[in-house]
Amino acid sequence: MYFKKIGVIGGGTMGQGIAEMLATRGLDVLLVEKTPEKLDYSYSMIELSLDKQLEKWAITQAEKKLILGRIHKVVHLAELGTCDMVIETISEDLDAKRVVFSQLDQVCPSHIILASNTSSLSLTELASSTMYPERVIGMHFIHPVSKVDLVEIIRGLKTSDTTFTETKRFVEEVVHKKGIMVYESPGFVSSRMICLMINEALHILQEGVASPEDIDDAMRIGYQFQYGPLEMADRFGLDSVLAALERMFREFGELKYRPSIVLKKMVRAGHLGVKTGEGFFKYDKDGDRV
Amino acid sequence: MKILVINAGSSSLKYQLYDMTDESVLAKGLVERIGMDSSIVTHKPAGRADVTEVSEILEHTTAIRKVLGLLTSPEHGVIGSIDEIEAVGHRVVHGGEYFGESAIVDSDVKSKIRQLFDLAPLHNPASMMGIKAAEANMPNIPQVVVFDTAFHQSMPEHAYLYAIPRVLYKKHKVRRYGAHGTSHDYVSQAAADYLGRPIEDLKIITCHIGNGASLTAVKNGRSVDTSMGMTPLEGLMMGTRSGDLDPAIVPFVMNKEELTVNEVNSMLNKHSGLLAISGISSDMREITEGMQNGDANSKLAFDMYEYRLRKYIGSYAAVMNGVDTIVFTAGVGENSVVLREKVCENLTYLGVELDKELNGIRSGEPRRISSANSKVEVLVIPTNEELVIARDTNRLVQGLKS
Repeated sequence: MYFKKIGVIGGGTMGQGIAEMLATRGLDVLLVEKTPEKLDYSYSMIELSLDKQLEKWAITQAEKKLILGRIHKVVHLAELGTCDMVIETISEDLDAKRVVFSQLDQVCPSHIILASNTSSLSLTELASSTMYPERVIGMHFIHPVSKVDLVEIIRGLKTSDTTFTETKRFVEEVVHKKGIMVYESPGFVSSRMICLMINEALHILQEGVASPEDIDDAMRIGYQFQYGPLEMADRFGLDSVLAALERMFREFGELKYRPSIVLKKMVRAGHLGVKTGEGFFKYDKDGDRV
Repeated sequence: MKILVINAGSSSLKYQLYDMTDESVLAKGLVERIGMDSSIVTHKPAGRADVTEVSEILEHTTAIRKVLGLLTSPEHGVIGSIDEIEAVGHRVVHGGEYFGESAIVDSDVKSKIRQLFDLAPLHNPASMMGIKAAEANMPNIPQVVVFDTAFHQSMPEHAYLYAIPRVLYKKHKVRRYGAHGTSHDYVSQAAADYLGRPIEDLKIITCHIGNGASLTAVKNGRSVDTSMGMTPLEGLMMGTRSGDLDPAIVPFVMNKEELTVNEVNSMLNKHSGLLAISGISSDMREITEGMQNGDANSKLAFDMYEYRLRKYIGSYAAVMNGVDTIVFTAGVGENSVVLREKVCENLTYLGVELDKELNGIRSGEPRRISSANSKVEVLVIPTNEELVIARDTNRLVQGLKS
């Protein structure tokens, strides 16, 4: 299989990150959003991200232009028929995703891999809305996509070996990240472990054992995390962390997944972390801690 | 014998077709934007109009097929059939310690080039694609690889080792390899020919100053030291590369600015040099223009560039215990009158005396720019790396036949 043109559905945080990363690797990207306004916004966010990299000398002006030139704006799924692979990154809503997959099923030739960036939904369930479930697979990128070189490749019940090996080849040889194989299970490996750590940090905070700064320093300095668990939660978005925990709590039924009360309160107050400028810590417009 | 010379980059491919009976170029050209649906081929047959074609060329094999098509086409071609091409010569950036000279391609040579991917991650894989593409299109034609590093393999240990734990050399082959070897080789030999003196008697400093720039001390016809190191970042200040700096700056800046390895690499290779100091351009022509228009930053960029170049000339005179010929070559070296003048002005202690009039003459020919009284010959010699590749290919393939 030859990977040259990739469809990315959804221009949210993950969609932007994936589109930018693919274009940086020299691939052509068709970025899909529901409306031209949303598309323009996503595109401008990618531009902003590239500007930040330019400031850090990671790329040159010419490279920025080349990268942006590879990202094409699309509002109709029907235009994805020529893609060599499609990656869906819309919000974690099973019904909405099912609609997208059944539409892709009509548009893309039956050998084209349809991947979902879901972090917790059932691939098997998603695949069941298509005629060729063997080509449906999970490809879970981690934010920030350009910096984190890990992808969880999730096999649904009916995902074929070919689909898996080609996806793994795509991840490792085309986009140069490490791909790990994961069988379908809520939260897979990465979200399950990290959300539990964040939840435990919140319990520690709630019990008054340590301050937010000290909890973060303990893990950051003590165990070489780039960010401590609370700042990590702020960066993921507290609403996303809450949603992931709730889903795992429902699926596993175990108390350890029950979201901390602190987390619920923060989300209800609209303190969602970096994206609202305030979570457990405060952030400026560029997402830097103040 | 007709020889096709190929210089393959990751998304481009340059070619020249030589007739070795008189070393004339029958045609040359360039394929750009390989891997995209609008690739551009520019084909220049000698003595006829240029041709430009835009089409989809997804990889190097198609690119070479396209080139062969143009070389043999009834309208733009210069040969009747592909069979007239008797050998292919490839430029390869890194030959590591394996290659002190050019080699005929076989499976062993290919596996060695592949082993060197680590040392030249951007360049050797591209060369490999060029070799494979030529093999696919011309399966029974001998191919020769000519390495940018080969000429410098004659450097002595005390010149190529870095003063760091030796285990790094043993484990990872961390050492000086240099670059532009084909050019330094060619212009030092051409200088000896021009002067009519045996190269074995000469102490030559060759200054290859283009977008990338390096100096080589050539003693008795052999490279004894060169300014580029394990990678092309070391040595002179360049268009966008820093050249020499205190290595402790790297971790310091990474820490202060929270940079990743990639970011700091990109900063030193693409955002430094003339571009960083002038804030205007990486191109010496624009820097010179800026300087002449009174732009202080351009002047500073020029002064630093010239100063660092002159320091290296001084140090290579020390390396060889003297110098009797200085050669300028490549884009900036061949064309920047003012840079050559400024450098030579402060080399009088070596006995250099520039003839300003000769220095001002623009020409594509090898020429002397020092005065009759100068103790050091200062020459400008246009480089011709493709010709060296064609000659080496010719020599090796002739040897194969006999």
